[in-house]
Amino acid sequence: MTPSPEGRPEETDMELIDRWKAGDSRAATRLVGRHSQALARFAASAGEREGIEELVQDTFIRAFASLDSFRGASTLRTWLFTIERRLMLDRRRAERRSRETVPVQETDHVSEYGALDSLIAEEAQERVRKSLDALSPTQREVFTLRVQQGLSYKEIAEVVGSTEGAARVHYHNAIQTVKEFLRDE
Amino acid sequence: MNKCTVSDIQELLPDLLHGALAEAEKVRVEAHVATCESCQEDLDVLRTVKSAAVFAPSIDVDRVVRQIPPYRAIVPVEAPARTRVASWLVAATLALFVVGGGSVLMTRQNSSGTSVKAPAVDSGAPVATAQSSAPSRVAVATPNPRITEPASSHPHALALAAEADGLSDRGLVQLMNDMDTFDALPGSEPDPVISVDSGDSL
Repeated sequence: MTPSPEGRPEETDMELIDRWKAGDSRAATRLVGRHSQALARFAASAGEREGIEELVQDTFIRAFASLDSFRGASTLRTWLFTIERRLMLDRRRAERRSRETVPVQETDHVSEYGALDSLIAEEAQERVRKSLDALSPTQREVFTLRVQQGLSYKEIAEVVGSTEGAARVHYHNAIQTVKEFLRDE
Repeated sequence: MNKCTVSDIQELLPDLLHGALAEAEKVRVEAHVATCESCQEDLDVLRTVKSAAVFAPSIDVDRVVRQIPPYRAIVPVEAPARTRVASWLVAATLALFVVGGGSVLMTRQNSSGTSVKAPAVDSGAPVATAQSSAPSRVAVATPNPRITEPASSHPHALALAAEADGLSDRGLVQLMNDMDTFDALPGSEPDPVISVDSGDSL
């Protein structure tokens, strides 16, 4: 148990889960507050452009509905990333299907991401986003989980359903691509 | 710029960035980075990428929590499955018992064949039952009894009739006479047939 900024010992995720199961709804608030921004960042880094808040919400609803199956073998955050990643894949599949059947509208290019873009003041951030766009989806996931979320290769392998060795290779290839992209810009 | 060949250090740079290294490991990685231009560049790229992850929208925690349903312990799935299997076993056992019991009953009736329902002389009279534990030439029960008129005066032929409803007066008289000569008749009177009233005696 690590100390909180107020000096009180910080409850672990497992302790909060037990408290929530015992009927303490404040424990759910603590858990969501602890992990929601990381989930939002992961979604944004993975290329999600719309409905990130809904995605995070769905992730927590699914996670809390199946908390009995979480045994603590991995960290709760890794487990949440795994759930969120599945939801993202489902969403992308659904989008692909709808794109195949629904004609493209003139207004389709106007998105939440456009609004978010306007908030990005620094040129470096825009360049990073473009460099991440140059990666394959798996490379991008591995790279952002490693660099922005600080997950270990073992945890990344759990999230993306791969092996530690494959995660290392994806990370190595990704940093080479990003480095070259930023150097050429 | 020469490419760094110390791959384990390269792989640890994100951990250095997140402060996730143990003290000894941190000192080792930092000492390497101080002398390696390639790793310095990698570290700069990693810092830029990490700090660029700022455009994710801020999440309304309370709104998310409100959508989370209250906890409900998961009931193990084995229990209903077991109950279902048990129900099938009970049903199968009962079916076996009924079919098997019926078969045994029919077999016994066919093999011993010692009882025959005697013809009723009068529709209001109690039914007389011939009972015997010994095989008899009189009582022959057939699975599919047929009502037959005695073809001759021989008792055997008469006894083939399992039901007496179709007998003529002559046949009935002969049957009554033949019954007096049966070897297998019980020494005592048969149990009286208790008629069930519709609650008048209560």
